This record gives sequence, C-alpha cells and structure tokens, in this order.
Amino acid sequence: MTEQLLKYFIEMNEKKAVNTAREMMTNPGEVVKVLDTCKEAMDLVGAKFENEEFFLSELICAGDIFNQIMEIVLPQLKKDSVRKVGTMVLGTVSSDVHTIGKDIFKVMAEASGIRVFDLGVDLPAEIFVEAVKKHNPDLLGMSCLITSGVEAMKVTVDALKAAGSRDNIKIIIGGGRTSESVMNYIGADAWADDAARGVRLCNELLSAKE
Amino acid sequence: MAGKDVQKAAQKRLKRLQDAAELKVPDRVPMMGFAGDIVAAYAGFTNYEVHFDFDKARQAAVKFLKDFPSEMTLAGLFGVNNFVPALAFSDYPDLAQGLSTISGPINDILKVSYARFPGRELSENSSSQFIGGTYMQPHEYDEYIVDPVKFSFEKILPRTSKNLENLNSPQAMATMVRAGMEMARQQNNMHNMFLDFMELGFTPPVMGFGYAPLDYIGDFLRDIPNLILDLRKYPDKVKAAVEATVEPIYKLAITAKTMGSPFVFFPIHLNEYLSPQLYKEFFWPTLKELITRLLKEGIKSHVFFEGRHDAHLETILELPKGWGIAAFEKTDVRKAKKILEGHTCVSGGLKASMMIVGTPEDNERYIMELLEELKPGGGFILSPDVLALPRETPIENLKAVYEAVEKYGYY
Repeated sequence: MTEQLLKYFIEMNEKKAVNTAREMMTNPGEVVKVLDTCKEAMDLVGAKFENEEFFLSELICAGDIFNQIMEIVLPQLKKDSVRKVGTMVLGTVSSDVHTIGKDIFKVMAEASGIRVFDLGVDLPAEIFVEAVKKHNPDLLGMSCLITSGVEAMKVTVDALKAAGSRDNIKIIIGGGRTSESVMNYIGADAWADDAARGVRLCNELLSAKE
Repeated sequence: MAGKDVQKAAQKRLKRLQDAAELKVPDRVPMMGFAGDIVAAYAGFTNYEVHFDFDKARQAAVKFLKDFPSEMTLAGLFGVNNFVPALAFSDYPDLAQGLSTISGPINDILKVSYARFPGRELSENSSSQFIGGTYMQPHEYDEYIVDPVKFSFEKILPRTSKNLENLNSPQAMATMVRAGMEMARQQNNMHNMFLDFMELGFTPPVMGFGYAPLDYIGDFLRDIPNLILDLRKYPDKVKAAVEATVEPIYKLAITAKTMGSPFVFFPIHLNEYLSPQLYKEFFWPTLKELITRLLKEGIKSHVFFEGRHDAHLETILELPKGWGIAAFEKTDVRKAKKILEGHTCVSGGLKASMMIVGTPEDNERYIMELLEELKPGGGFILSPDVLALPRETPIENLKAVYEAVEKYGYY
C-alpha cells in the first residue's frame, strides 16, 4: 500500500492519497510507514519541481495532501518518535506582509524533518534576534517579496551580529528578490527563490553543520 | 524647453515606444523607468506622504522624471490593485477605470481589507502592498458564474470593504459619495500632474487597466492557494467562472479607447504557478480572447508576465503578430526575444536587485552587454523586473543605468 500512497500523492490525487493513508492507519504498525512515505513523496515533488516537471500549483497541492494526512498521523505518533533533522526560525522581514512563498516553504521544510518556528510577517530585526536567542535554531530563514526587503534582511543580519548570535546559525534567504549578489550583500549563507530549492539547501546546510 | 521643443521631445519619446511595439527599429531603445519608494525618497518625502498627499506625489514624480527621464513611467502613481469595485461598476465606464487602483485617501474611505498602506497598517516608509484574501466560498461559484458583476457588487464589495458592509445603509451611501468626491479631486490632481509631465516633454502615462480572469478569481475571490486547489477539486466551475469574467473585464479594458490610450496593461501572476497543461486549460484562453478582441478595436495589450514564464513562452505566438508588448520579470529576456523575434515586442532586462546591491560599474557593464545582444532588429523595450525600487537604492546606480541607456541604446 505504501506504493499506492506514493503513486496517488505524486499524481496529486488528494482523495485517493488521503483514503489510502487512512486505510493504512487502521494497522497501528503502519503509522510510521505512512509518515515516511509522505516525506518521500514530498521529496519527490521537490525534485520534480527543480527539474521543471512540476510547478508551484503542484507544490501547493502536495502541501495540502501532506497536511491532511498529517492531521490523521500526528495524533497517533508518540512525541519522540518523529526524528527532526534540525530546527529553524522562519519569517517574512520588516515591512513585507506577503505569506504565500513562506507558507509553501514551511510545509515542505516540515515534511523534510525540519522543526519550524514560524514568526509570521512584517517582522522587525529585534523579533528575529529574540527568537534566535529563545529557540537556538540551526537555521534562520528570512523571506521577502518586495524590493525593500533586501535592506530589511541586511538590517536583521547586522542585528544578529551585534547580538553575538550570527555565528551559531546558518542563514538562508528566500523569495522573489533574492539572488546570489543579494545573499552576499546581506551576509547570508544561502539563497533560494523557490521553496523546493530552499528546502534542499537547508538540508545541505544542516548536513554541513553536523 | 519652449512649447514646440517640448512637444517634439514628447513625440520623439512616444514614437520610440510605438516603433518598438510595432516591431520596428526606433532611434534608441525605449525604456520604462523605475518607480515606487525611490521616487518618494529622492524628493525627501516619506512613503506615507506621497501616498496620502497628492501634491507631494506630484512634486516627487516631476523631480524624479526630470533627472531620470524615460519613455514610459509610473512615477507619481502610488496605490494598490483594486479590481473589485472596478468589476462591480464595469457597466459604468466613466467610473470603472478610475476605481481599478486604490489610493491611500480612498482606502481611508472604503477601508479595503486586501490593501496595506504606509502610515496606516504599515510603518510610514513601508511600500503599499496588496495581500489578497478569501472572499468567496466554493459553493458560491454557481452564483458568481450566473452574474459576476452582480455578485462582485452585492457580495464581494461588502466583504472586502469595511465601510460598505451593509450596502443599504446610510454608512454605505455616505462612503460611496465620499469616494466619488475624492476620486474627482484625485482625477483633477492627476490631470495637473500629467500637464507637468507634458511641460517636461513626456507623454502622460494614460493607460487602460485589465486583469486576467483567473487572476481576478485568485486575487479577489478565492485567494491563490485555495484557487490552486479548486483547479483540481472543481475544474468545471473554475472554468465557467473564468469564462463569465471575460465580458466585464473587456468592458473595463475597452474604456482605454475613450481615454485615448493606445495600450491596456495586464499584470498577470498565476502564469508562474501553473503547468503548461493547467495554463492552457484555465488561464490562457480567456486572456488570449481579451487581447485579441482589444486588438480588433485598435488597442494593443501590454502584458507583464510576472515570475517565470519560460514554460509558456510559445503560447504567445498564438496571438496575431504585433499584438502588443510582452514584459517579463524573471523569464530570461534573451531567450524570450529569440522565441518571439519578429512577432512580439519584448520588454524587460533591468534588474532591481542589481540596482540595490551592485556598483555603478556593474550596472553600466550589464546594460552595455544586454543592449548589445537585444538591440538588433528593434522590437525591444528596456524595463525593470520590479518597478518599485526601495528608498535605499544608491542614486549613483540609477544614474549609471540611465546614462548607459543613452550611451549604448542608440541604433
């Protein structure tokens, strides 16, 4: 049945994927299998997006299927049984109130095993600094869509440096206005203007950190 | 400049633009200039001031345009997409186009929930932003399909505008009257700003405004993530809704003709979200219909294909040759020009991020190389990937780009 679940998931057949997961869940031993298959499916969706076989609509649909299945799976899992590969503080920078890109990224990052603390949108640098101190994450993700976000990201990185919190974390920036030159300008470690690439790079940063 | 010289300068700029749109070779590559926060900052105003005080917006636009001249500009126009009232009043062409963008003062009157303004919900130097929202539930598609104008007026307008919550209330009537008065004031101010532009030798940016039907449903009815799921859950309803939206949008767009505008501008967003199959099924047919119908009336379309349009570039060739301008954000403009050469005027190439973080030398070199490659054969307009530059953009970078266009842009 795991093969079927994977197939329906990749075909974006929401009803069949969710029903198959539900059926598998009637056997308590299958819970972890359902979780692992969903993660595998999300990885595949991300890879297909990067190969230009899939588009943003598939990322959104896959995220929806993943969330629906997790609503069934998570209550049945013991707290410690889900292995987390790392932690991340995430938010859209000061003055920017856009959410779609960040939200797509968040689902995919969680599916890949990253525990995400989502702070929201329009966040001044101090909020990021406080959250980094509080959660001590492996990664900090900053999102921006509008051009003024570039300066806001730089201000945030500078504030982290001033607080002595920059060197303990890896910083990835994401969104429409990011590029390699923007990454260098603000002093981040990685950049991505799509969610799939962003999640892949987060995992690479985590592996390098280990 | 004296009167005649001013007229000549304006005609020269307009001809550059028209030649490029007609796929001819102009005397110089025409340029669409940057706009947004930098225009306010350059004049020493906050973003709040230019959004809420029209005199300051006008002063800022004139100062910017004097120092950074271009063939096409949206400097001085500060506001957010506002297509719900535009569609709801699409049977009243004298009002509809004026409603398609919402200014700060009009938003104070309407209290629209999908817009955010500096000095109101945002800090005074933030950019104004459109955030969208979910204003229609899936079971309402049928009602919308029967009469999208009636539905937009009776259901969406009250749901999106706090002061129009109860359309039959004195509050709603007062809101409509106040909005009308403010619109008249703004149009007068806009007229004066355009006179200033003409005195400087520029053609006023009079342009009709259109919307791709699927984008209207995504931005103003269902919100984008919900609509993406609807494409699979209720494909027939979405398709019928998209088709029903064509007529009111056409009525709006064709007002460009009475306004004396040769172009209708379509900013499109969902192209990047869709696979070629979904794009061809849900998005493209109705946009294509609108562009084709407008062209039959002598109006060209200026479509800004946001995000990456690479997967859909070939569909543009389905339009009649010389239909208008295809402007691009993240699509490789070199690739686009190769594919569309001799068929469609291509616009793009200026990179906001390079303006923000690059050096003047980087920017000059970039423009030189880009123009060297894209200038031959005409049919090309240099335009920004993102119009709005942030306040902190180094002015020397702006100077470098505008000077590079003068230096390398002539044929």
